[in-house]
Amino acid sequence: MLQTVAADLVPAVEGIGLSRSYGGVRALNNATFSALPGEVHALVGENGAGKSTLIKVLGGRVRPESGTVRVMGENMSFAGPHDAHRAGAWTVFQELTLLPAMTVAENLLFGRPVRNRFKLIDRAGTERAADALLNGLGITYIDPRALVEDISLAERQVVEIARAITQDAKILFLDEPTSSLVEREVEWLFRQIRRLRAAGTSIVFTSHRWHEIRNIADRITVFRAGREVGTYTELDEDHAVTLMTDRRVDALYPARSLLLAPTPTLEVKGLAGTGISGVSLTLHKGEILGVGGLAGHGHRELFFMLFGAARAAGGTVTLNGRPVRLRRPRAAIRAGIALVPEDRKSEGLLLSIGIRENLTLSVLRRVSRFGVIGRRREQALCRQMVDRLRIRSGGLGAPVGTLSGGNQQKVLLGRWLLTDCQILLLYDVTRGVDVATKHEIYDLMMRLAGQGKAILFYSSEAEELAHLAHRVLVLREGRVAAELSGAALTAERIVAASVRDHHAV
Amino acid sequence: MSVMAMRQWLTVGRRRVLYACGAAILLFAVGNVLRPGFAGLASVEAVLVVASFVGLVAAGQTFVILIGGIDLSVPWILNAAAILLVTSSLGENIRAPYALLLTLGMGALAGMVNGLGIALLGVPAVVMTLAMNGIMQGLTLGLSGGMTCSACASYAPPLIQQAVHDRLLGIPMALYLWLAVILIVSFVLSLTMFGRATYAVGTNPRASYLAGVNVSAITVTLYALSGLFSALAGIILVGFGGQASLGMGDPYLFQSIAAVVIGGVYILGGRGSYVGAAAGAVTLVTLVSVLLTMNMPDYGRSITYGVIILMLLLLYGREEAGS
Amino acid sequence: MPSEALADRPAIAKPRRRALTHGLTQNAPVLLALTMLIVSLVLYVAIFLLTQHHLPGGFEITTTVNDTMPLAAAAAGQTLVVLTRGIDLSVGGIIDMSNAIAAVTLRDTPASMSLVTVMVLLIGAAAGLVNGLLVAVGRLQPILVTLATLSIFQGIAIRILPQPGGSVPQIYTNILANPNAPWSLVYIALLGALWWAFRRSSLGVAILAIGNDPMAASSNGINVVRARVMAYVLAGMLAAAGGLFLAASATGGDATTGDSFTLRSIVAIVLGGVSLFGGRGSAVGGIIGAFITIMIANLLFFAHVNQLYESFFEGVFLLIAVVAASGIGYLARRRA
Repeated sequence: MLQTVAADLVPAVEGIGLSRSYGGVRALNNATFSALPGEVHALVGENGAGKSTLIKVLGGRVRPESGTVRVMGENMSFAGPHDAHRAGAWTVFQELTLLPAMTVAENLLFGRPVRNRFKLIDRAGTERAADALLNGLGITYIDPRALVEDISLAERQVVEIARAITQDAKILFLDEPTSSLVEREVEWLFRQIRRLRAAGTSIVFTSHRWHEIRNIADRITVFRAGREVGTYTELDEDHAVTLMTDRRVDALYPARSLLLAPTPTLEVKGLAGTGISGVSLTLHKGEILGVGGLAGHGHRELFFMLFGAARAAGGTVTLNGRPVRLRRPRAAIRAGIALVPEDRKSEGLLLSIGIRENLTLSVLRRVSRFGVIGRRREQALCRQMVDRLRIRSGGLGAPVGTLSGGNQQKVLLGRWLLTDCQILLLYDVTRGVDVATKHEIYDLMMRLAGQGKAILFYSSEAEELAHLAHRVLVLREGRVAAELSGAALTAERIVAASVRDHHAV
Repeated sequence: MSVMAMRQWLTVGRRRVLYACGAAILLFAVGNVLRPGFAGLASVEAVLVVASFVGLVAAGQTFVILIGGIDLSVPWILNAAAILLVTSSLGENIRAPYALLLTLGMGALAGMVNGLGIALLGVPAVVMTLAMNGIMQGLTLGLSGGMTCSACASYAPPLIQQAVHDRLLGIPMALYLWLAVILIVSFVLSLTMFGRATYAVGTNPRASYLAGVNVSAITVTLYALSGLFSALAGIILVGFGGQASLGMGDPYLFQSIAAVVIGGVYILGGRGSYVGAAAGAVTLVTLVSVLLTMNMPDYGRSITYGVIILMLLLLYGREEAGS
Repeated sequence: MPSEALADRPAIAKPRRRALTHGLTQNAPVLLALTMLIVSLVLYVAIFLLTQHHLPGGFEITTTVNDTMPLAAAAAGQTLVVLTRGIDLSVGGIIDMSNAIAAVTLRDTPASMSLVTVMVLLIGAAAGLVNGLLVAVGRLQPILVTLATLSIFQGIAIRILPQPGGSVPQIYTNILANPNAPWSLVYIALLGALWWAFRRSSLGVAILAIGNDPMAASSNGINVVRARVMAYVLAGMLAAAGGLFLAASATGGDATTGDSFTLRSIVAIVLGGVSLFGGRGSAVGGIIGAFITIMIANLLFFAHVNQLYESFFEGVFLLIAVVAASGIGYLARRRA
């Protein structure tokens, strides 16, 4: 008996003293975590607190720079997720790992297909098995013969989850599994989680939706700045927020700039296209207009359309009273619009090229004569911007990829400030940025607004929106679900408007 | 210069240019041991002149490889240009300007069509330029009746022949021309908006597009330039040899790509310089000459070529991983 | 499965696509290639009838099949490499080599013929192994590696057979490229069957997976290096087989006839709907593409198009096929 009890006490998975950095930012800083068999363990924390990195390390996708990973009390060294699978740990990463040009069945039964007696894959048999598997899980709306690239994002997420939960895993990591799911799919997932818990599986998941955590978690570990703050069995939301931020929230944000006699600059009416439908908004000079909501609900598309990088199928855009057609980014830039995109590394910056070249890329005309770049003029302009934004680097020639996330983001902001843009579209501009730089960016936003620039600001952190924006529009399923301002503008209201049950089919 | 500053200046790209130059000098030394006089002025000059032909084609290849593309239509644009020049000029000086314009225009046009197919229709560069090579080959062969046309046997106008062969201060004009091309291309790539945009597109086309760079226009222009340089090489070659022949462009595909790679231009785009590619052309041609002096048969040269390129790739690849 | 899960009824019920439409959309590229093949066949027959005043007969079929075999083998190999997001420019060099070796070493005895065949295939595999190791382990760009090895293989081929010549025993020709009847269709069927099995093997799935998404493939436990090397090895082997077919149908060797196969194999797979960006396509498509390539040449020949224009039309057809394929693919996705 004693043995059984002792065995029960062995955590299913443990991470001890884990550290890992990305480009100068410590994503994990001597973090320790453990989860027991048969428990549902929620990981909470702000964006960039290290939750996803922890899951990547425990799931075998990323090697820690230091620290130990243990599964069932045994030290592990994972060369890849496959090693983790062998140890019984399966992960649903935020970035899905399905193979797009293969069928749902092939993906679902990847590595364990039905084979005939010649050891060859029996495709029809695999499809039948996948069908049975999906049916067994209560999913009858996904065709196992469809190609993954042809099904919706939510369906892919369901397939990815279905694959992981049918592996008889001892440990299951789910990194924001509900982010692109609708309410009924979330309910389905929770039923599966409860079933697995009853069977003794250890389930670790992250979520930003507090009601989900309350609904299903047995224990909660709070992460902050790359390490754990503590593990709790009871934790109310207010307390959690304090733990996650550990500072008086209000003190973190600068005072909102005053918005006197607002004049509209950008007016959008009934904008529609892939991902959004019927979005209308008015952006005033000197205003910070927040856009909130869960990822995958049309923000990215809205920002790209306003920047001319995605095609709008309908609606009108008026700039300072004149209708404009933004067919490509060049046209938008000329009209005075700037975009800091979601992924600065792949869509914003040229990582292997110097700071100077990145800063002046959109204003080459200004520093050139007859197409020849005036090096001195360019140098002066860059120095000015580097000083103004306090970009810390090894010189203007240093490749941007060698800078920290915060400084990279500053380079990108600096590029747009050089264009004298009047409208800034900032998409999650503080993501992956250290706290100090965050402050600088907030201050900068306030100053720019004070100068009369208009800012459309999407953030995945409701707190940020609540404290910085004059007004906030919440997008849900590509539509404006709520507009919040004044006393109604709180993080809770934003979150509530983002996740309210939606029964329309 | 302090060691630190020296290290900073000596970027991977610059190091490769030095490697290529060093290799060329080493090869001359080896050649001189094998056959005394190989490193003599006359011989060096001959190597440089031949290298200039490769170098001209490599200029165009550099442009498109800098944006991660490739131009496989070099052989037959070059060949078509050579034939078009002789057939439109009929060896007469009076027709030379017209023939020159026509030929260069033809090259630029063919290149531009490449660029349009790649930038606007989204055809992969390999397929587009491969098809263009076939199209140019078919047109050239068909229109010239397989080089049986009466005008096909014409010589290049004396003016053009002189422009290649004449000497100024004891140096062949072809080398001045190449020098001018080196200066202009390097200037365009490093000091102009166009050059800046080229490197930007080569580094990350998506981010460049979102920064307001006209990616399509840059792409089309670069391919047009590649066509233009292939045509220019065809003109110089026919000026050098006097007459055009079928298949004269074939060696230049492999050699232009090899020169660009030896010169340290990154095949996926965004890094490299034309000076490097020019040094690569010299290295390559020196290598061939050394092998020739060793009486190395065709097959041996072919094998040595391949082996040396692989060795350089491995060397560069290790460097890449190290940095 | 516990009954609790079974009780969980669909969240959103969607009608499943019918099997037929389903099959159509999934094999769209191959079907498109097949359509092009049929169109070119019909045109060919029509033009043949107009100019020759009778239908193409056994002789024409046999010649076409024998002409196609080397390209079909090379294209099947090229498909494997391109599926991994690579490209093999050395195909022409390997064909040169195997062609030359076969012409020099083949003797008119069953032992010699089988031994040489095996040896040539192994040499092709070894050549592919060199490519594969340099690409997968050396982490070099496929286009550069295979450009360099192309030069090496071509050199070796010329060393083996400096002038066209050598001889291929009649029996060997009769077996691989029978001039009297289209027996070579058997090899086409064999290639198709091999692909069918390969697509269902672990290696085949691995090769497709790395072309789809190398990161996801390695997360799923695929040994990316091994699969990539194997793709080049098999491509080398298939190219060597192509060289044997070429030697057999030419009844002699020539160390340069293979050169054109590098480009033609790429043309064939593009016509056959294999994506040059990897992960999508099938060797069956490549084989169909090889047939289309040969049919276009036949078509032009019998239409009395000046043969000098042949590569012009090939280039134009290649472009039309690529643009049409991507256009149709785009429309199909939009509709779905």
